[in-house]
Amino acid sequence: MSIDWVTVLAQIANFLVLVWLLKRFLYKPILKGIDSREAEIAQRMGEAKRAKEKAVAAEADFVARQQKLQADQDALAERVREQAKQQRDALLAEAHEKMEQERQDSLAQLARERERFTSELYQASADTLYQLAGRALQDLANERLEEHIALHVIGKLDPLSDELASAAEHAEEAVATTHAPLPEGACHEVEAALAARVPGLPLRFATDESQSPGLVLRIGSLELAWTVESYTDELVELLKERLASGESGRVNAHGG
Amino acid sequence: MQLTPDETTVFTLWGLGINETVVNTWIVMAMLTVASMLVTRKLRPDVPPNRWRTTLEVIVTGIQRQIEDISSQSSRHVLYFSGTLFLFIALSNLLLVVPGFTPPTASLSTTAALALSVLIAVPLFGITRQGIGGYLKTYIQPSIVMLPFNIISEFSRGISLAIRLYGNVMSGAVIAGILLGVAPFFFPVVMDVLGLLTGLIQAYIFAILATVYISSATAPVHKPVKTPGHEPERGRDHHKEQDR
Repeated sequence: MSIDWVTVLAQIANFLVLVWLLKRFLYKPILKGIDSREAEIAQRMGEAKRAKEKAVAAEADFVARQQKLQADQDALAERVREQAKQQRDALLAEAHEKMEQERQDSLAQLARERERFTSELYQASADTLYQLAGRALQDLANERLEEHIALHVIGKLDPLSDELASAAEHAEEAVATTHAPLPEGACHEVEAALAARVPGLPLRFATDESQSPGLVLRIGSLELAWTVESYTDELVELLKERLASGESGRVNAHGG
Repeated sequence: MQLTPDETTVFTLWGLGINETVVNTWIVMAMLTVASMLVTRKLRPDVPPNRWRTTLEVIVTGIQRQIEDISSQSSRHVLYFSGTLFLFIALSNLLLVVPGFTPPTASLSTTAALALSVLIAVPLFGITRQGIGGYLKTYIQPSIVMLPFNIISEFSRGISLAIRLYGNVMSGAVIAGILLGVAPFFFPVVMDVLGLLTGLIQAYIFAILATVYISSATAPVHKPVKTPGHEPERGRDHHKEQDR
């Protein structure tokens, strides 16, 4: 066993060549690939980090937007609720007002109905009273009553002296009609009273069964009537005045 | 019994006899180179790594990590050198199982050549890193009295490396040859398996020792630094340097 120095030199040369070959075909490509991969990984990690930061920022932005949207939505809902409440209150107030108005209208209608009913009742009462009074006067009227009416006429002629005189200028006679013939004494008193106001005008007495009890004096176009019908007409007028004035409707026994 | 393949001349080239050691070395070199070329020929970033490329990456990065662990430095020149040592010795020793193939590392000339390479590479790496003055100063550390001992130490490293590698590889081959004659069926298989293991271990030890020697030569020696409130310190620079 010995060392062959030529072989040693050859092996040294072979080893150096092998170092170069492996450096050229093994180490450099492998290390270059590893370096490029590390660089690529680092680049991708950097990109991933930036993407993550971007995603985090986007998430924060999204959360902020979501919160703002939620807040806007809450505010909108609150506003809508408030508007709905106001609208409901307004509608309720309007409904209350309408109900109150209807109630007032109903009350007014009731009052009008009551008033109308009362009025109709009063009117019916007045009519009944009128009919009863007329029937009573018709039933009770007689010669004695017509005499009293004729005498009452004499007292009523004084305020009508001018009208009587004016009417007598164009008339040839005066006519006094009654339901039944007047007693002679009453006729004379009426003639005397007329002659005192209208001298020279002849007076003629006549009867008319269709006329209501009382005296009707006609001088030309002038007609003066004091009959039971005129009293009942006065009663009707009196009742109408009372009803129109809104009084209780109780007719004063003294004729107001 | 033939103990070294140096004595077998395979062919003659220009009057120079090419022995089996050199031829087998070329075979190992060709296998390593062709395999590397085949694996790294389609090495592009857009091509995903296949299992062969991943295997080579694991081997290369493993060697690099070992170097960094030993030297606390990341020098690719050391990787080229020590990595080639490891791969060459490991593949040579693994080819021990091939019938008729004598590993080149079974030749004392090869191991001596590798040891000489380490012996030459150590001062070259040291000079490259520290300059010639800085490297030569390491021979007189800690004092000039240590100069002859440091020189002897440097040479003894190379000799021990050569003898260690040759002895282990050759012993395995010799033991296998002896057992093949005694018990031809069982023991040779066991010894071959053991030889594979020891071959890989020897490759690892050889490369590691070379790396240690180179690292010790390239590590900068600090002068004592006096700073207020601090004791002078001596040690190695642990900064990792990129030498690409």
